[in-house]
Amino acid sequence: MSARAAAQERTAWLFSAPVLAIILLVFVLPTALAMALSVTDYSIYALADWDNLRFVGLGNFVDLFTTPLFWRALGNTALFAVLGVPMAIGASLFTALLLDDVTVRWKPLWRVLLFAPYVTSIVATAVVWRFLFNERSGLINRLIGAVGIPPVDWLGDPHTSIPAILIFVTWKIFGYNMIVFTAALSAVPGDLMEAARLDGAGRWGRFRHVTLPAIGPTLLLAAVMSVAGFLQIFAEPYVMTLGGPAQSTTTILFFMFEEGFKWWNLGQASAVAFILFLMILALTLIQTRVGKRYEWL
Amino acid sequence: MAVTSRARAVVANAAVALLTLLTIAPLGYMVVVSFMPRGESGMLPTPLWPSRWSLENYHELLVRRLIDGAWFDYRIVPALWNSLGIAALSTGLGLLLTVPAGYAFAKLRFRGRERLLKLLIASLVVPGQVAMLPLFLIFKELGLVNSYAGVILPSLAGIFAILFVRQATLAIPDEMIDAARLDGAGEMRIFARIVLPLLAPITVTLALFMFLGSWNDFLWPLIILADQQRYTLPVAVAAIAREHAADAELMMAAAVVTTLPVLLLFLSLQRYYMRGLLGGSVKG
Amino acid sequence: MEGDARGWTRRSTLALLPALGVAACARSVAAPAPLRLWAMSWEGDYSPLLMPAFTAATGIAVEVQSLPTTASHEKLLIATAGGALPDVFMLFNGWLTEFATIGAIAPVPDPSIVAGMFPGMLDATRVGGRDYAVPWSVAPQVNFYRRDLLAAVGYDAPPGDWPALRTMALKLKRRRPDDFVFLMLLNWPTALINILSQAGVRPLRDRDTRANFSTPEGQEAFAWYASIFADGLAPKALSTEVQDPVAAFAQGYFAIWPSGPVTLRDLAQRNVPKHLWSTARCAGPRGPGALSGESASLCVAATTGRPADAWALVRHLTSVESELHFQRAIGNLPANLHAWASPQLDQPVLAAFADQMRYPAPGPKVIEWEQIQLQVQFAAERVVRGVETIPQALAGLDTRVDRILAKRRALVEAGKLA
Repeated sequence: MSARAAAQERTAWLFSAPVLAIILLVFVLPTALAMALSVTDYSIYALADWDNLRFVGLGNFVDLFTTPLFWRALGNTALFAVLGVPMAIGASLFTALLLDDVTVRWKPLWRVLLFAPYVTSIVATAVVWRFLFNERSGLINRLIGAVGIPPVDWLGDPHTSIPAILIFVTWKIFGYNMIVFTAALSAVPGDLMEAARLDGAGRWGRFRHVTLPAIGPTLLLAAVMSVAGFLQIFAEPYVMTLGGPAQSTTTILFFMFEEGFKWWNLGQASAVAFILFLMILALTLIQTRVGKRYEWL
Repeated sequence: MAVTSRARAVVANAAVALLTLLTIAPLGYMVVVSFMPRGESGMLPTPLWPSRWSLENYHELLVRRLIDGAWFDYRIVPALWNSLGIAALSTGLGLLLTVPAGYAFAKLRFRGRERLLKLLIASLVVPGQVAMLPLFLIFKELGLVNSYAGVILPSLAGIFAILFVRQATLAIPDEMIDAARLDGAGEMRIFARIVLPLLAPITVTLALFMFLGSWNDFLWPLIILADQQRYTLPVAVAAIAREHAADAELMMAAAVVTTLPVLLLFLSLQRYYMRGLLGGSVKG
Repeated sequence: MEGDARGWTRRSTLALLPALGVAACARSVAAPAPLRLWAMSWEGDYSPLLMPAFTAATGIAVEVQSLPTTASHEKLLIATAGGALPDVFMLFNGWLTEFATIGAIAPVPDPSIVAGMFPGMLDATRVGGRDYAVPWSVAPQVNFYRRDLLAAVGYDAPPGDWPALRTMALKLKRRRPDDFVFLMLLNWPTALINILSQAGVRPLRDRDTRANFSTPEGQEAFAWYASIFADGLAPKALSTEVQDPVAAFAQGYFAIWPSGPVTLRDLAQRNVPKHLWSTARCAGPRGPGALSGESASLCVAATTGRPADAWALVRHLTSVESELHFQRAIGNLPANLHAWASPQLDQPVLAAFADQMRYPAPGPKVIEWEQIQLQVQFAAERVVRGVETIPQALAGLDTRVDRILAKRRALVEAGKLA
């Protein structure tokens, strides 16, 4: 190898080795260990004495599949994703389209303000929204009371707890994809739009036939990333509802946290983590498959 | 024609303004309630404005009080310093580690580069929480539980940051770097004198991402920090939130203390943040 | 020259720095580092009140950290696993077996520390025959009741056995059909567990490795619990739906509230007139029986570097003066027998507590007891909501608890556990 090539190689390793080492330590190693833990019965007894540890093969997974709360958590998480992704993507798209209108002025100002919730701490805003959803003195009930709707116990009724949290989550995250869609909308071919308008296509027609295909890939990517995000909801149930009421907001991650750190069933909790990983992996594979089929990737 | 387009402009602008108002309203209300006297927010009908502006919530939250000869302290100010210090260290070290690595993956040729790159991209799929439980056990063996290092270390594994910097660096023309090499400049010199200045805007964006990410990080500090003195702000606020759910004014003050610094930071540097989200390319 | 003069000043300033450093080190060596205490709930929030006396007597400062109750189990476990426990910490009695088994707490070194405690309480703090904690606050449940509401149907106090209690409750309900009689919520397990205790249910069998709920006693207890809700005597509600129980009790929406000493303080703080309420022992199937509550004890961490100081702090916190101070501040009940001799505790409303304290019913000494209690709560909720019949619920409960105990069973059968 020439001296210059050798110099490049040396520098490259110098530059990347430290961070790669850290990634190995805090990411690769623990993930492998998680697979290993998930086939043992690591529990509080193992904390008392290492000797108590046993290999149980798929025992943890079988146990999980016969635990009602696990299925409840899966169902809740799926509900969060199924309801939340359209809400969030829809809100982001709607706002992006609104802002994209040529007649709107002071666009940078609106963009920044609409994005602000995204950079705030989830714990702080969860506390604020818990107060807003308060049945007696919350602003939300005051608002809907002004139009004659009786007060709703948002966070105390198992039927409204998920929608309440979803409203909060949408508020918090819609700004991110709004910006992403704004960028995508600016790349919509202008001449195509002109041609469509000259052809007499109305607002909706132009949207369906010009805008939508142009931002399709971006929409898909955003939707898939959103689903992955919704599958990992934790802080909101932790701060606002403690997984309740009646376990209606216990998500997979919340279940994993309680199994792992409240009861110290690290073996079972690792099994849950593994299942979560498989779910997100499946999601990504579907995304690649769909994207390739429509030639969006 | 002009009339309808003006009407449309009014409607469009009004819609955007209303939407923005609704979005900002919770944050505004948070600030307003934090200045209300204790117990006022629970009165019906819910007040929208303080009857008198009071600093008592901030005082109780931030100041050590002497009651009956004993000291009471929510320890929010230490948490504030902890968050600040940890975020600053995370950002500084993070940049130090990931910017050179991103450059290396983009412009330096070395064995295994493509394979490593594929592995990095693939690992984006794995959610961070999978590693959390065993990582705790590993840190326990290393004696890093309840330490600042224990909080900062996981945040330095910046896979996304590496890819981000790499994406930005790819835009630098190869000819520029090759020409410098032909001139006899060493690799380090090329990096320091040519590449870094070009990456400056990206570095600012990345620094902002990292700082915000570290400040708002919740789950891992919750697990790894046991001592109240070492809590970061989100962890401290979550602890108070459990027991003081009914003290809305106090909780709003805590929320303000947690969100205001980052909001101000974001507002002052939002240009970089937005640019980073929209492209990450070197050219403005 | 001017530059030289400035340089001198800089140099002399720099020379001062090491001196300051030495002085600072000397200062920190002189004063001992503060002891660390973790406690939950009101004990955590108000423990600082007890510290000035200790610091004055021993010169050791104490740093109190208050843990949120609902997050305390995980925080303590994480601290144990991570070697980050404080010097002294509070534990609910139900967790003592767990923390003793994993080696988190140190055994009591000196019998004089626990001398003078309620003997029944020491039963709960003993693990494997050794004392591992010092009882600190006793919190059995009693029935808080509205004297005026009961008087209106001709009762001085709630009867002590279930059939008579039910008769009275039905009279109350007929008189005020829109209100409820019992403030018992579906996710407050303590009252339910107490019903089981009083019915004589022994939750586990076979050296505490198998569930034992499908018994006549279990059936009786569940039947009584379910009947309360079926007759509309208690709301089929969770604590998130009744956010202010004190106000609800004060306003008469509930006539009877099984609760612990904390409610004494809550009622006093909200200025609920004293003549409106009183306390009585909880009713059992054939008269009041044994039951417990959320009593707590103080433990010294096995990993503390200062055991002598730590035990001194424990001695101080469980002394008569501290217990009485606490009682005034937060309504805590002392575990110290001598404290009960004080006139401060001679109030009529405390009589029921003092009485009940002599009949504690500690839970089984297994690590999984906390999880098992939750399963009992879920099973009962399913019965109340009509999802399962009582035999079905008990059988399901047995199955689930058996699974929870699987590891324990394996270890006991292998001879590794007592």
